[in-house]
Amino acid sequence: MKKMIAAAVVVGLLASCAVLGPPVPQTPESTPGNPQGPGTSQAPGSARPGTQTPPEGAPAQAPPSPQQRQFTLGAAAASLVGVAHTQEQSRNYGVAAETLERALSIEPHNPLVWIELGRENILAGNPTQAYGMGRKALYLASGDPHAQASAWQLIAASLRAQGRNDEAYAAEERAVALSPN
Amino acid sequence: MVLVGVLAFGLYVYYLNVLVTHRFEGLRWTLPAHVYAAPLDLYAGLDLSAPQLEHELQRLSYHPVTDLEQPGTYRVTGTRIDVALRAVQFADGSRPATVLSVLFGPTGVQDLRDSTGREVPVMRLDPLLIGSLFPIDGVDRIVVTPQEVPPLLPAALKAVEDRSFDTNRGVDPWAILRAFWVDLRSRRFEEGGSTLTQQLVRSYFLSNRQTLGRKVREAIMAISLASHFSKADLMNAYINEIFLGQDGNRSIHGFGLASEFYFGKPLSELDLPQIATLVAIVRGPTYYDPRRHAQRTLARRDLVLKILTEQGVIKAADAQVAQRQPLGVTNGASGAYYPGYLELVRRTLQRDYPEKELTEAGLRVYTSLQPRAQELAERSLDAQLQVLDKRHHRRDAKLEGAVVVTSPQSGDVLAIVGARQVDFDGFNRALDARRSIGSLVKPFIYLTALETGRYNAATVVQDQPVSIKLATGKFWRPENFTRRTYGPVPVVRALAESLNLATVGVGMDVGLDKISDTLTRFGLEQPPQQVPAMLLGAIDISPLEVAQLYNGLANGGFRTPLRAVQSVVSADGKALKAFPLQVTQVAPTADVYEVDSMLEQVMTHGTGVPAMRILPPGLVTAGKSGTSSQDRDSWFAGFSGGDLTVVWVGYDHYQPTGLTGSEGALPVWAHLMASLGTRPLEMPEPEGVTETWIDYQTGMGAQPGCAGTVPVQVALPIGAQVTPMAGCSNGTTAGTLLDRAGRWVHRLVH
Repeated sequence: MKKMIAAAVVVGLLASCAVLGPPVPQTPESTPGNPQGPGTSQAPGSARPGTQTPPEGAPAQAPPSPQQRQFTLGAAAASLVGVAHTQEQSRNYGVAAETLERALSIEPHNPLVWIELGRENILAGNPTQAYGMGRKALYLASGDPHAQASAWQLIAASLRAQGRNDEAYAAEERAVALSPN
Repeated sequence: MVLVGVLAFGLYVYYLNVLVTHRFEGLRWTLPAHVYAAPLDLYAGLDLSAPQLEHELQRLSYHPVTDLEQPGTYRVTGTRIDVALRAVQFADGSRPATVLSVLFGPTGVQDLRDSTGREVPVMRLDPLLIGSLFPIDGVDRIVVTPQEVPPLLPAALKAVEDRSFDTNRGVDPWAILRAFWVDLRSRRFEEGGSTLTQQLVRSYFLSNRQTLGRKVREAIMAISLASHFSKADLMNAYINEIFLGQDGNRSIHGFGLASEFYFGKPLSELDLPQIATLVAIVRGPTYYDPRRHAQRTLARRDLVLKILTEQGVIKAADAQVAQRQPLGVTNGASGAYYPGYLELVRRTLQRDYPEKELTEAGLRVYTSLQPRAQELAERSLDAQLQVLDKRHHRRDAKLEGAVVVTSPQSGDVLAIVGARQVDFDGFNRALDARRSIGSLVKPFIYLTALETGRYNAATVVQDQPVSIKLATGKFWRPENFTRRTYGPVPVVRALAESLNLATVGVGMDVGLDKISDTLTRFGLEQPPQQVPAMLLGAIDISPLEVAQLYNGLANGGFRTPLRAVQSVVSADGKALKAFPLQVTQVAPTADVYEVDSMLEQVMTHGTGVPAMRILPPGLVTAGKSGTSSQDRDSWFAGFSGGDLTVVWVGYDHYQPTGLTGSEGALPVWAHLMASLGTRPLEMPEPEGVTETWIDYQTGMGAQPGCAGTVPVQVALPIGAQVTPMAGCSNGTTAGTLLDRAGRWVHRLVH
């Protein structure tokens, strides 16, 4: 029980770490849209593109610095995340998870959706699944330190909920190192 | 004696009365579980064209109109489609009927608005009913409430079948006398004279045998029913009970299901000629089968319309308009009937639900099936097998095939094709054909090798004759498909060209136990027999299990159990069971990334090359062919950024097909992937890995443009030693400045 309460507290902190905007409490079938356009990454670059044909010649210029990007949610996924938050408030975790899976089917490569789904799993008492989702989010968040920090927060919360406190502490350290503010 | 007879008859009547009232009061139809496809989410940015949305709507039996009328219709105006969506029940709640405007731009859905002009972020279409899990007796029905029944239907039934329904006491003596006279003259039972109540009794309580005893029993029970229950209750029971058609081993009961079965839409949306057709079918569902005996049914429908006019139920002008309409029945249940997928659903649910509950409790089962992917998979398999049949014709057998399509991130099974004849509920090869996977095992051998830290894509391995002494004392001497040896080759080439000898060498070095462990981690249900032949795929598993294994590769090393069922809801809308998404990391992301980058080279330099002529330009994919010994099995498993597809082609009785994986399964795979509109493969680059150019032939560091080389870009661990090719590369370790520059240019170009 203590673990669950601790997990809930950490999840609360995780939610407030604002990887997402404020919840949109209306049902997606009837809500006005988020003015943001669709899209998950403002500067895609660290994902591996196709390697079908090699380019001819190499440039004399210096190569670019490691690519950074910042994930955001498109309007549809953001709306569904908002709905899930509302469902979560009435402790309807299963339905909230189904709503988040809809968001995931729209943006399957967006770590922010995976983090939300992991958070939902902690609330529903499934920290092992939350851990897997945290690892998945971390994998997808390549190039986005903010999203990586959130993924580490989720991993830490899931580990703490499993009583693996030392590992949780180490995960939190990683999160802080990536996003000290 | 007479007194005893009267007493016995009285007791008999009493018994029937108790029986009828007791059973009818507790009337609960057994309701099969109804199975639904995943509803399509519409949102701005969705890659869906206006014609594709129209197709989706038509699949859901929405009808084009010029003015939006009732739910179930849509209107096309330029680049906009307005849809009057029906009220619908989803797994997680319901949606009232509503109007949605979908505006299309050059890249797909541009904007969604509701009827007041407000922007809508996301909206689901209806979930398509794809089948029922009905009991052995085959009874299937959709129960409708009186509010869902168009008023014309009971009026028409009364006018045609039982004019005295509102006033009779369950039987109509005049009708019986008339029928008796007709039967007496012909010396056989020709006319029934049954009221609707008698028909209901016959359907619900009795057999269909035409005997005098049964007729008497039927009459007594009908009188009993009519004396205890209201006419409205009896009419509602009749509408839900009566037999209206046969679909293979499935019997269509009730007007609710008949409406879906014949017209593909809810009963409440039927128009006059369609209602008249259903009323016509009541008289003899086999004789008046509108699909098999269209002319006969049309004549009977027109007769029904005439009777309705004579009885004042409809106006003559309306009847004339209706008589000019065709029957308008759909092509049959096959349009949304996917037995291969339903079988997987049934097996999933049988773990949690007893058969009786599945077939009688009216469960609503929401699945992952994507009707569009399913249709395309069926079409691709059928079309390509026809082509292959012409080239590799055998008189004694016909090529068979199976396809599985999944969404790697969620593990959702989007489509299952278990046979060429897709509407036949027979042997499901996607689930039950356990066939040797051949070279499909190789990515897992190389993944295991990478995990040891002793191999990478540029590592040079020897493709040379191998001789391994088996436990039996005999020697195993495998060969390459070409029967040649290739000498020193980099790992990327060994995998891309599926070189057997090089792979056996690596596999024996790494250890069979470790490879077995990798396969088990990725989802192989039974650990393979640890014999050297497993290195060439002597592992017999189903296409679905192959999909489970490759799903982990397509998912960056995360295992996500495949799922066909997402949730189960009770008849009254209560959530009973969910099958939530699960994800577990089963391999280091860096190692899987390296393997996947080599599987990309399979498509550009190896056995997947023929697919490049079929796939649209820019669609990056990764995959692997598989061929079992003597070409008995032809496989291809591969993935894009959005879909994983596994294809098997072969003969049921294990005759050689003369087809390699590239020749048999690959064309099916490529045509399907090309038609799915899937997104290119884009993998996030994990820490510790970098893209490096090497020569495909030698594995030496080589830059694009280097004469005499075939430069390919592979993923290598940062710091991995790469032997530079003289005059070609000045880099000796992966991740050098030049490698990064090449990668940067590559991204600019693509």
